[in-house]
Formats: sequence, C-alpha cells, structure tokens
Amino acid sequence: MSQHRETGIGPPDEYVEAEIHRLLAEDPSVAEQGITVVRRETGLVLYGEVESAHRREEILRRVAERFPGVPVTAEIGVIRTEAPTQIEQLP
Amino acid sequence: MIRIAAVGDVHLDEDVVGRFRPALEELPDCADVLLLAGDLTRHGTEAEARCVAQEFGGLGVPVVTVLGNHDHQCDEVPQVVKVLEDAGITVLEGNGVVLDCAGGRLGVAGVKGFGGGFAGRCASDFGEPEMKAFVRTTTDSADRLSRALRSLDCDVLVALTHYAPVPDTLAGEPLEIYPFLGAYQLGQAIDSAPTALALHGHAHAGSERGTTPGGVRVRNVAHPVIKQAYSVFHLGDHLDQGEVSRMSVSGT
Repeated sequence: MSQHRETGIGPPDEYVEAEIHRLLAEDPSVAEQGITVVRRETGLVLYGEVESAHRREEILRRVAERFPGVPVTAEIGVIRTEAPTQIEQLP
Repeated sequence: MIRIAAVGDVHLDEDVVGRFRPALEELPDCADVLLLAGDLTRHGTEAEARCVAQEFGGLGVPVVTVLGNHDHQCDEVPQVVKVLEDAGITVLEGNGVVLDCAGGRLGVAGVKGFGGGFAGRCASDFGEPEMKAFVRTTTDSADRLSRALRSLDCDVLVALTHYAPVPDTLAGEPLEIYPFLGAYQLGQAIDSAPTALALHGHAHAGSERGTTPGGVRVRNVAHPVIKQAYSVFHLGDHLDQGEVSRMSVSGT
C-alpha cells in the first residue's frame, strides 16, 4: 500500500502514524513494539522506553529517513537498570 | 520464605551487554532464584542469545526463563535455547522445575503463552483456518501450562509466562491491543493449580499488579514497567500481611 503514496508531503495523517508503528516493529534495526506515536499540529511525537541510547537514536534516524518532510520530536527514555531498593512481600 | 527476583523484556543485543550486570551481581545476597519472563533478545538470533548468556549466566543463583515473541522472530529457537542452556539457564516451555531453596522447594512452571484476549472479548475457535490456528495455539499453550503446574511437587508454586494471563496488568496499554497481549486461558490454567504467584512480561505500557479470577497474584515484570534491573518478591506463610512493600534492609 505505502509505495503508492507520496510520503513526506502534506501533514501527518493516520497512515503515517500506522506506517511508523509498523516500521518501528518490523525494521530489523529497530524491532520496538512499545513506542507510541502521537500526532500533533506541529508534527509527530514519539514516546516510549528503550534499552539503550543507541536504540533511541536509531529510531529517530529511521523515522526521519522514511518521512523526511515530517517534523518528529522524541520523548524516548532509556530504562534504568539499578538494583531494586524495595521488595514486595506476598504472604 | 522464598525470595524470587524477576524481570522480562530485557531485549538484549551487544548495545545492552553490561547494563544489567552490576545489579545482577547483587542477586546472591537478595534472591534464591532469578526468573526471566521472555523477550530476552531483540530478534531471537543465536548471537543475541550469546549476549543474554554473557549478561545472565554465572550469577550464583539459578536462572529460569521462558522465551517471548521476540525470541522467535528469526526462527532460531533451538539455537537460542542451546546457547542459554549451555550458560546454565533453564528454559521452560510446557514444563517445570523444582528448586531447593533455603525456605523450601520452589516449583516454577512456564510457557511463552499467546494472545487471544480476555473473557467476553476474545477470539473464538471458529471460522477461517487461520483464526482456528491462532486460538488453538493459545488453548494448547494454556493446557500445557496447567499440566506443568499440576505436575510439580513443591512448597511454593510459581507460573512464568511471557504473555499476560489477566487484563489487570495491562492497564496503560490501549484496549484495542489487549487480544495481542494475553489470553484468559492462561489465567484459567494458573487457577487450575495451587499457584502462589504468576509472573509475565510483554506489556511494556502495562502496570505491575493484578490477580486472576481465582485470586492468584499476578505481576507484570516487563523491564519498561518495573523500571529497575529486576523486582524481588518474598513468598511465605509467616510474612506480615500489612507489609506489602517495605524498604529492604542491607539488600535482604
């Protein structure tokens, strides 16, 4: 479907959102299913958490490459890996 | 008392190796076992499994895991399992293991599980062959979990899955994708045995706590949910009911 559509032209729409979702899951260099794509008037915002800074950069690089005309900002965090300071008791 | 450390969805590759290790080195002081709730890798390659073996091998506590959907992506499951087992990690799929801990015998039964949805809002074994195959994958997995749980002779019984057995721990995920995140049949399997605790991952935007319809505690230990290297649960009859979550004292 996507090859018939001129991406990067005009405002982001639901198809762009869907394509980004699938790109992030299906692109072997990303393989992230936990990223949320939110459409705003100013462009797309990506939310979520990943396991390394490298993966965050890769997500931004791949999205920018695929949709060069769409402004994208990212609120993607790298998940903390500290030992827990609390335990949960389950009597 | 039995002390269980657990995390899922660590999605290891070369870029993550070493991030968990400092916290994992503390495990012998604070847990009897580490349970991994699947999605150990990004794509399920043998090379990524070697990263898992490097990070989670040789910890000084037994490590027991199920695989997740990511671990199936490249169709290298036998190779992934072999690399993990060579590193001393027990991989469960439709079977269980009993570990002798200081506080008693801990039984862990595990399956990856599958989707399908939750009571009243789930897929049915009806219609096209693809839909039947989808639902039968789930019921078969749940049946194997039930059999594995009921086969273990132990003091404390834990169910380990990747997919969620209840919708409670999916809160935060879009409702529309619940059928891809878990299935009620897994909860039914957990309730068919005297299970003390059910651990799962997969739902990165879900929440930590829930219970099955039968009252078994369920915890989503996906790394993006717990936001720490692992969670630690103390199970035992003598624990104070009111002290649900307390600060640990010198790591114990």
